[in-house]
Amino acid sequence: MNNLEIAQTPSTPEVRADSGQGRVFMSGDSYPENPFDFFQPIIDWIDDFLKNDDRPLAFDLALIYLNTSSIRAMMDIFDRLEESHLAGRSVSVDWCYDPDNERVGELAEEFKEDCTFPFTIAPRS
Amino acid sequence: MSTPDLYDLREIFDLQKIMVCFNGPINAALIEEIGRALRDYLNHQQEAPSAVADIFAVYIEMTQNIRRYADQHQELTGASSAAIVVSREDEHYVISAGNVVTRYDGIALKERVDELAGLDRAALKALFKTQLRQPREDLNGSAGLGLIDMARKATRSLSATVREIDAERSFLSLRVVL
Repeated sequence: MNNLEIAQTPSTPEVRADSGQGRVFMSGDSYPENPFDFFQPIIDWIDDFLKNDDRPLAFDLALIYLNTSSIRAMMDIFDRLEESHLAGRSVSVDWCYDPDNERVGELAEEFKEDCTFPFTIAPRS
Repeated sequence: MSTPDLYDLREIFDLQKIMVCFNGPINAALIEEIGRALRDYLNHQQEAPSAVADIFAVYIEMTQNIRRYADQHQELTGASSAAIVVSREDEHYVISAGNVVTRYDGIALKERVDELAGLDRAALKALFKTQLRQPREDLNGSAGLGLIDMARKATRSLSATVREIDAERSFLSLRVVL
């Protein structure tokens, strides 16, 4: 399975998905005009990994601002993780943020409300 | 037609405490650039990071709503233009945006905004979560989610005004106070 690498732009985050390590890293702002075009390859990669493998999948997130369409796309991703978790798969999310901008922590908390897998939200020290 | 008097224009800007003003055709690249300028300006003013985040978020949702609407109404004269103003009012930031819509959409959007005005924080949060889970095809890129998000960030109810331009078109202005 391939790794996925997407470079950061002002309106899209950096994304690195490493199938060897079972890790997905996303960092930056996300407000693309066509969020589904941007997120579809990421969602496809996650679906592939979850289907073709039984190893754990861990997300390291340092996302800052998400427009509402990106929030929806991230919810689609977390829904997939939740489904896998309920089926016995080991999945986790670690969301790290700058404590000066409390909006990021609040956003992460709202996502966490709908997830039962390990989801940590940590202010960066 | 004479050239507008820049001194007069500046007086209006100063009086109304307008920090950013844009009027014209808008696209994704411009939205990004103006957004960057807005953030830089606010950071330079030593504004709290969460306040900068809210202003930026409302600005993005408003302008992307207008872009999306323009894409869906390419036959509507003037729909690709937006008027965007970021200003101060007492201790608050105000973000306003206006665009040309069909008369029908103007009325419908104003009704939607007035409906949201009657909801408290908990109800807005619940509505946001419900809308998030609507099937994508039902949303059809509607302004629904963006409006609720703005209403959740605002310190006062959103307000919309509609002015009829002609038999088919109206000018919709949306005002969000943070």
